[in-house]
Order: sequence, then structure tokens, then C-alpha cells
Amino acid sequence: MTWWLLSFARRGPARYLSHLDTSRAVQRTFARAGVPIALSQGMRPKPRISLPLPLPVGAAGLEELAVIEVPDEVPGSAATLRALRAAAPPGLEPLAVVVVGDQHPRPQAREVEYTCRIESDAGALRAAVERYGSEGSVVRERVSPKGRRRLDLKDYVAGAATVAVAGGTEVRFTISYGAEGAARPQEFIDQIAEWAGVEPVMYGLERRHIAWQGLPSGRGPGDGRSVSS
Amino acid sequence: MLSYPDVYEIGISNPGLQILYSVLNDETPAVAERAYCPWPDMAGLMRAAGERLWTLESMEPVAGCDLWGFTLPHELTYTNVLEMLDLAGVPLRAAERGEEDPIVLGGGPAVADPWPLAPFFDAFYIGEVEHRLAAIVEALEAPGRSARLGALAEVPGVWVPGRTEGSVRREVFTAFSSTPPVLRPVVPVLEAVHDRAVVEVMRGCTAGCRFCQAGMWYRPVRERPVDLVVDAAERLLDETGCDEVSLLSLSSCDYSGVHEALTRIRALRPGVRVSLPSLRIDSAAENLSRFAAGQRGSITLAPEAGTQELRDAVNKGVDEAQFQEAVAATFAGGFTGLKLYFMIGLPGETDDDVAGIARMAATAGGLAREMAKGRARLSLAVSSYVPKAHTPFEHEPFAGEATLRRRQQLLRDAMPRNVRVSFHDVAASVVEATLARGGPGSDRLVERAWRNGARFDGWTEQFRLDAWQKAADELGVTLGDSAPVLDAPWKAIVDPGIAPSFLGDELARSRRGELTEDCRDGACGACGVCGAGVEMEVLG
Repeated sequence: MTWWLLSFARRGPARYLSHLDTSRAVQRTFARAGVPIALSQGMRPKPRISLPLPLPVGAAGLEELAVIEVPDEVPGSAATLRALRAAAPPGLEPLAVVVVGDQHPRPQAREVEYTCRIESDAGALRAAVERYGSEGSVVRERVSPKGRRRLDLKDYVAGAATVAVAGGTEVRFTISYGAEGAARPQEFIDQIAEWAGVEPVMYGLERRHIAWQGLPSGRGPGDGRSVSS
Repeated sequence: MLSYPDVYEIGISNPGLQILYSVLNDETPAVAERAYCPWPDMAGLMRAAGERLWTLESMEPVAGCDLWGFTLPHELTYTNVLEMLDLAGVPLRAAERGEEDPIVLGGGPAVADPWPLAPFFDAFYIGEVEHRLAAIVEALEAPGRSARLGALAEVPGVWVPGRTEGSVRREVFTAFSSTPPVLRPVVPVLEAVHDRAVVEVMRGCTAGCRFCQAGMWYRPVRERPVDLVVDAAERLLDETGCDEVSLLSLSSCDYSGVHEALTRIRALRPGVRVSLPSLRIDSAAENLSRFAAGQRGSITLAPEAGTQELRDAVNKGVDEAQFQEAVAATFAGGFTGLKLYFMIGLPGETDDDVAGIARMAATAGGLAREMAKGRARLSLAVSSYVPKAHTPFEHEPFAGEATLRRRQQLLRDAMPRNVRVSFHDVAASVVEATLARGGPGSDRLVERAWRNGARFDGWTEQFRLDAWQKAADELGVTLGDSAPVLDAPWKAIVDPGIAPSFLGDELARSRRGELTEDCRDGACGACGVCGAGVEMEVLG
């Protein structure tokens, strides 16, 4: 068996898919394209596919990653990529296939770049983002069924900036991942919206780029035996 | 416009709507799009934002279509129809609609008694529709609303209130056997309740269970040739990317080609799961070894009633030995889950019949312990029987809320401790029973309940008895009345093609505890469906 990395974009109507539905859509894209996915062992074999970094419902992802095991004889060729593209549902776009080999890659996100829009006066939004840059510590409380947890956004969110775009102002920021996970985009936006005095509603959340660790050397998307067109 | 009055995840799994969508778009000049019922939180946001219900395909307002067809699966979706009309900005009542409004057409199994929804629809289609869709589309070419309704009234199977005289004969799609099933279905990208490719192998069922409306409604039995089924399964697996295909019908184990179809599909696609919606208990031991080879998980068997007397009365006919053999075969076959399906509230039921359910559960539990050594899960699903139109029990009284609650408790008390039991919500059954045989005027109850907040009545967490009770109180209606139903107002509209004498005979046989043989295995039961081009078509 051989491991592949599939780089793909999820946008348009597909951005409303959940994580599991996205995984299932990728799996069915392979089936429709006639590209078999290896199955796990046991009583109820499951396709060997994982999406290492779930994308929030409603968010677009321009450079997502799926880790998939396929039989050795399946060629990771441009023709295969074309077949995958033809079989994908609207909004799901296979971008590149990287043939890794027999070593199971276990990529982990290191840094993730996001953009989104918030309905707000551009000046108030810019001031809130600048304030974030100047604060030494911005502590938020996360409430979940597991309990309450305090986290300092400054440990995770950097590179915050506002950019004027057609129809409003875009907020850009980068989230870093540590041993204890990461801040969520919504947690950062909640803080910015609070300072800007607006509703904390994100529009057009987009995950633009993910820096990975744990990929085989030289075998990230766009590297190694990558088929991208 | 095609709609199923429930959320997308439920509606997309409805094979009937997939057929309509496929035939309309592929075989007629019409363009069919879809809309489902938004969940209450979404509906609230839409109203707050002034958004009208839109179509999934073009995202255009639903109200802009020429014809809005609803598949009506059961009574507990009726308030969702009103919700969708209102969200679309279409007047609720047909009489209030103008030239710009779509013609609203209802179809599906619930039109067996259209009265509770009649004033909300411009027309109803009674029966199977594949062969009449072109005529319905053609009728829409008439100029103006009135002319269109006039043209629709000329289409066989269509009932236009106020225009159609007499009852409408249920339409039967006689070319079913020679027509391929849907080969290019809409493939959901969200997980649906039935997330698999579907091949309808057979339509109709003549097993003759006397409580079963579908068994009466979809007669006669028509089977598709095995070649058609296998080719469709292969193509559907390629086209959809699904890893499971369901051989669908009301009783797929009765499909004459089931062994051959299963064998050939499994040989062509070794990794694919092939599922059958139901197994008959009387042949389960044999079927489990043939159909379920290599498949694991859980299986459902439906004895329906707890004693031999009551099973005979409903023409289920399964005996204790067959039941034990089926349960033993389930665990011997490696299945680790067994679900038994029963009904309470059947006509003639006694407390001992209910206690019999617990006795059968104890028998199954004993076999589970003995054969599966603690690995098996045994569960019971117990629903409340609601008498339906056009069945032998159409005049029988509904058991009533008090009786159903008492028998549920009786069953809880008698049930072995290691068996998990789930009961259907009695309150929802009370509403279902009120609407299932509703007559003229029953629409007012539906509308008042909707105005009181009733939505998604088939969903336990959404069902609001208070909304229905308030509506009933306002109108002086008794919900879930357990008096016998003497008249049959549905017969003024719908002629199911079943001879009234057959239903009467079946009721008499039920009371005598006599079984009626499946007509595919024995003598014709004189149900009256066959004739005038409508015939049973069973593979030779």
C-alpha cells in the first residue's frame, strides 16, 4: 500500500460541509474517479483516509490536506488528478497529489493563516486590531463541556492586520499550534469585535495557508513527487 | 419545484422524490428543482431577515415556480407543508392564491386521505406518477391558473377540489418492470438518513398484513428483471461513489430474483455492502445464511404482535418456532445486535397479547445469552398502531391514549431487565390517528396547530402536544378519539382500486383469526386490483 497526500480546496457551497461530510465527500470523489482507497482491517473495514486539520463549518479552505492510503498499483499521475477533479462535487477541488510511499504520514499543523470580514466601521476595526498588537496579554475564557479554561490569545494569534478590500475591511491573522492546541478563530474575533463594539460575526472565513510539520522530508504539498496539474 | 416536508437529511433519502426529479428533468421539458423544510432556527432567521424559501439548485424564490409538488409521506409532516408555504410567501389556502402563485400539487402515500390538507392544495395526484408526469407538465402550458387547473383535472389520477366529480382511481405504473430505476440520483454531500445507492427491485407487496396501508396502496406486485437490477446497481455505485447499495421494496426477501441479484452484485463488487430493508421472519433462517454472508452488525425482525392469535388476526402468521429459529439464526450468523419490532394497540389486542411481547423478548434474550455469550445486544422498538384508510382496519377504533399508555407501562413492568425498549411517543400517535382518517374540516385543526407553533411533529424533541391540544380545544375536536369510525370520507375522493368487499372479507377473517395467503403463492384473494391492464408481474 502507498500513502498519498491530497491537497484540495473547499469553498463555495462546499464550505458548509462538516468535517465528517468533507471526509466522506473526498472518499466518494475517489470512488467516482475509480481510484480505490485501502480499507482498514477488522469486522467493519473503513477507508484509510484522514483530514488532519478540521475546517470549521462555513469556512473556506484554499489549501486543505487529506492523508489517504491507496493500493500500490494506483498511479499518482496527472491523469488520476484530472479524474479526481472531474468527479469532485461543486466547491471541492483537488489541487495536487503527493505520493509519499509506504510510511504513514502524520502531519500536524504548525501555523495557519486566516482571513475574514466583520461588519464594522473600518476605523474601529483597525483600532481594535492595533490594540491587540500592542497588548502584552489578551486572556479569554473558553467554556466547554470539559470545563473552563483560560488561554492567552497572544500565545497563539499573531500577524493580525486589517486590509481594505472591495465591500469592506478584511481581518488577517495567523494562529500557531502548540502542545496544548491552539486558539480558535472565533475566540480571536470575539475579542476584536468586543473592542470594536460590534457583533462578533465572521463573514467569509477563509483558511488560506497551513504550514505543516511531521510530513516526510521534501514531501509536502507542492514538493517531492507532486502532481499538480 | 419538488418538496419533501422535512429537513434535507430526511428528504434527500426519499426514493419517490428522486424518481420525480429524474423523470421530470430527463424526460420532460420541465426543469425541476428542490426545496426542503428549514429547521425551526433557520426558519426563524429567515423570517427575521425577510428571506423567502429558495430552491437548492438556482437559489431562486420557490414561489416563482409554475408548479410546486409535495411528496406527503405521513400525517406528522402536515404542519411542515404549511410552514413551507408560509416561508415561501405562498397563500396557505388554494382559494386565496392568484395568477402569480404556483399551483400546489400533493402526492405520495398520505394522499390516501387528502381531506386534512385538501384546502391547502390546488390539486392532488393519487397513486404512482412516473407515466403521468409528461401530461402534468403539458397541462401547465395552458394559459392562466384556471385553465391550468382545468387541464390538470383531465389528467388521470389528478383530483382538483371543486372540479373533479366523483372519486379518482389510484394510478398504477404498469411499465415499472420494464423501466430502469433511477440511474443518476442526486447524491447528497451531507450525511443523509439513508446514505446509500438505491435500486428499487419490486413495487407492491401482497403479503397481506391487514394493518399495512402500503401493502394495500401499492398493489399489485411488479418485479424488475435481475439484469436490470444488477446493471443499475453497478452503474449507481460508479456514479454515486457509495459503498453500499440497497435493494429496495416493501419486502425485498419476497423479490423472486433476490438470490441471483445478490450473488451477481457481490461477485461484481466484492467490497460493496448489499442491504435489504427487511427480512421476513418465516424465512429468516434460510435468508440470513444467504443474504447476510459476510455482513455483521445488527438486524431487525418484525413479529409485530406478541401472541399467535393476534399475529394471525393481522395476517402476519409467524409462529413461535419460526421466531425462535430466526433469532437463533441471527446469533449463529455472527450478528451482535437484534432489534425486534412490535406494535401495540392493534384491533382486538388484549393485555395478554402485550404480555406476550415480553415473553418473546425473554425467549430472544435467553437465546442471546446462550449463543452470543453476552456479546449480543437485544432491543425492542414498540410503536402504537394507528388505523389507516383503505386497509381492512379502516373502520376499527384507535386504541386511545389511555389504553396505549397503560399497555406501555404493562410492557415496561413485564420486560426482562437486560432488554432495551423504546416506545413511540403516544401523544404523536394520538395526533397521527386524528389526521389519518380526517374528513372535511380536519384542515382547520392542522392550520390552528401550525399557528399555535406545531412543526416537525414527527421529531420527538420538536413535537408540541400543547399546540395540538389548544387547536383541538378551540375547534371542539377530540384528539385520538377511540370511537369506531363509521363513515369513510376518504372514499369520496380516492378509489384505491381495492374492492370494498375484499377489505370487508379481510376484516371478517381477522376477527375469526384466519390467514389469507399471499396471492403470488396461491389463490387470488380477489382484492380487485388486477385487470384493465394492471397485472401482477412476477419473474418466471
